[in-house]
Amino acid sequence: MLALIYFIVLGIIAIGSAVCVLLSKHPLYGALSLVLTMLSLAGIYGLLGSPFMGVVQIMVYAGAIIMLLTFVIMVLNAGKDSKTPMFDKVSLFVIPAVIVLAGLVGFALVRAPIVFDATTLRGSVKLTSETLFNVAQEGPGYFVLFEVLGLLLLSSMGAAVLMAKKRLGSEIEEEK
Amino acid sequence: MDIIESKSWVEWLITIAKFAFCFVPVLYILLLIPMERRGAGFMQDRQGPNRSYIKVPYFGRIRLLGYVQNMCDGTKLFFKEMFAPKGASKFLYYVAPAIPFAIVFLSPCVIPWFGPMVFEWGGKVVTISGSILDSDVGILLLFGFSSLSAYGAVLAGWASKSKYSYLGSLRTSAMTISYEVCQGLSMMGLLVLAGSFSLTDIVSWQEHHVWGIVAQPVAFFCFLIATIAETGRAPFDVAEGEPELVAGYHTEYGAMQFGLFYMGEYSHICISSFLVATLFLGGYSVPFVTTETMQAHMGGSLAILCWVLAFLALAFLHMMHRYSKKLAASRQSNKNVILQEYKLYKLVGWVAALVFIAAGVASWMFYTPEMAHTAAGVNTIGTALGTAAIHLLVLVVKSVMFCWVWIWVRWTLPRFRYDHVMNLGWKIILNIAILNLVVTAVVAKLLGGN
Repeated sequence: MLALIYFIVLGIIAIGSAVCVLLSKHPLYGALSLVLTMLSLAGIYGLLGSPFMGVVQIMVYAGAIIMLLTFVIMVLNAGKDSKTPMFDKVSLFVIPAVIVLAGLVGFALVRAPIVFDATTLRGSVKLTSETLFNVAQEGPGYFVLFEVLGLLLLSSMGAAVLMAKKRLGSEIEEEK
Repeated sequence: MDIIESKSWVEWLITIAKFAFCFVPVLYILLLIPMERRGAGFMQDRQGPNRSYIKVPYFGRIRLLGYVQNMCDGTKLFFKEMFAPKGASKFLYYVAPAIPFAIVFLSPCVIPWFGPMVFEWGGKVVTISGSILDSDVGILLLFGFSSLSAYGAVLAGWASKSKYSYLGSLRTSAMTISYEVCQGLSMMGLLVLAGSFSLTDIVSWQEHHVWGIVAQPVAFFCFLIATIAETGRAPFDVAEGEPELVAGYHTEYGAMQFGLFYMGEYSHICISSFLVATLFLGGYSVPFVTTETMQAHMGGSLAILCWVLAFLALAFLHMMHRYSKKLAASRQSNKNVILQEYKLYKLVGWVAALVFIAAGVASWMFYTPEMAHTAAGVNTIGTALGTAAIHLLVLVVKSVMFCWVWIWVRWTLPRFRYDHVMNLGWKIILNIAILNLVVTAVVAKLLGGN
């Protein structure tokens, strides 16, 4: 009962701030609404019995990624971008896609039985680590995906460093 | 309702009373501000602010060793007018200072303030954890909150429509992200050893093995540097460096809005010093004594605690005595007024010392083993509360020591240049932290084999 009330409150905040991301005129307000969405999603994860996911959501998404996003927004166009029109040609594609997606999710939600037991732990640290790093032959094998993702991130980071270094390096040489 | 009946009233009382720990960072502000100002005076060989006084009729002037000055400053901030610069985005401008200050109240909930209390009540054995929220993701939650508090500075800088604030907030957001990475990675080695994210588990590991600073000395220094950078204090206060940016992200703020930033910063120092003490200095655990030994000799432990406090009171008396002697020999014009005030402190010191000595003797004499443990060998509530008090005091002493490290560093080192800060973070500390993690993991695997 209590969990359901929390869920409804968090859900309303999540959806409301997600709508705000679409409607806000200034990108920085959009980013802030996204932070609010992430935080309420983290709360919902915690409610679903996986505090680890929730905390990682706060740390990684709300704390680091959106912080980077605000940094980029502020560096690029924070001052002048408040007069962007809310709808333009791209909206022709975005709005139907959003409506269709909302319809699909709503359909799935209506069809699925909403049973929800807040007391079971679905994603504690122990459970997550044991599932993720189960290296047994008959295990789920998620660790392979984990390693592949790590490799992917490493390669993308290497590429970014390489690209950044090329330009900056030449400028510094010119100064000297 | 079931949830109310599931615990006895004593359990509920202690569980609810633990929420008072949320206010510890705010109380630490009261300690940290005089400590910083007089500490700065001490470092720079001057007196520090000590001229404000309260006039008490029939007695004289009370300056509380300079403490009244801080009350005056607080009162001034509190009653000043709140204003916003023209063109600022009002909502964010007013909300921004509240963000770091609000998070201050959330952060203490995962720090274990004392060991798990186990005692018998009403024929049942009751266990109460030492943190408000005993979660297995403890420390990650703390890092999440700490990363959120940087939004206050970033939004303040953007909302106040000033170039200086703007630059300050850009620097804050970049520095927060970089040093969070260092902070997280440098502590991972300890987590590998303890095998848990829960701070209670980490402390109990340290209690039964060695302190984190012995097991992970490299990680300790990396973590300390990264944490100092995270609080945004000198030598890492590039976000508010006066020579370049006036005052950084809070240039446009005045009155209590500035006060909130100020208090947020000091509370962040408090939380960080508690975190360092918990991770690397054994948290609440008493050096060289396990909790079990302490509980087995509860009367003696309480007596030693009281006598340590009495010793501190005597040290204070000695300090007052030396001050008075020096002052009486000097030719200062207001020395009679100050000597009058010192007499009051001496009286307080004597009373405190006598009370502590008496309490120590009483607990030594009257706290018998029958009172400490029930027939089944489980602690009584008195023993559990006594243990908790000793643990709490030990943790507070450790954290105050680290608070002093913060002040010491601030008034010793000059401010780093911005690119130096970034180089230090990404090119030195991060690499050392990763290396430390790898070495720790390999060694732990070879020795422990889990």
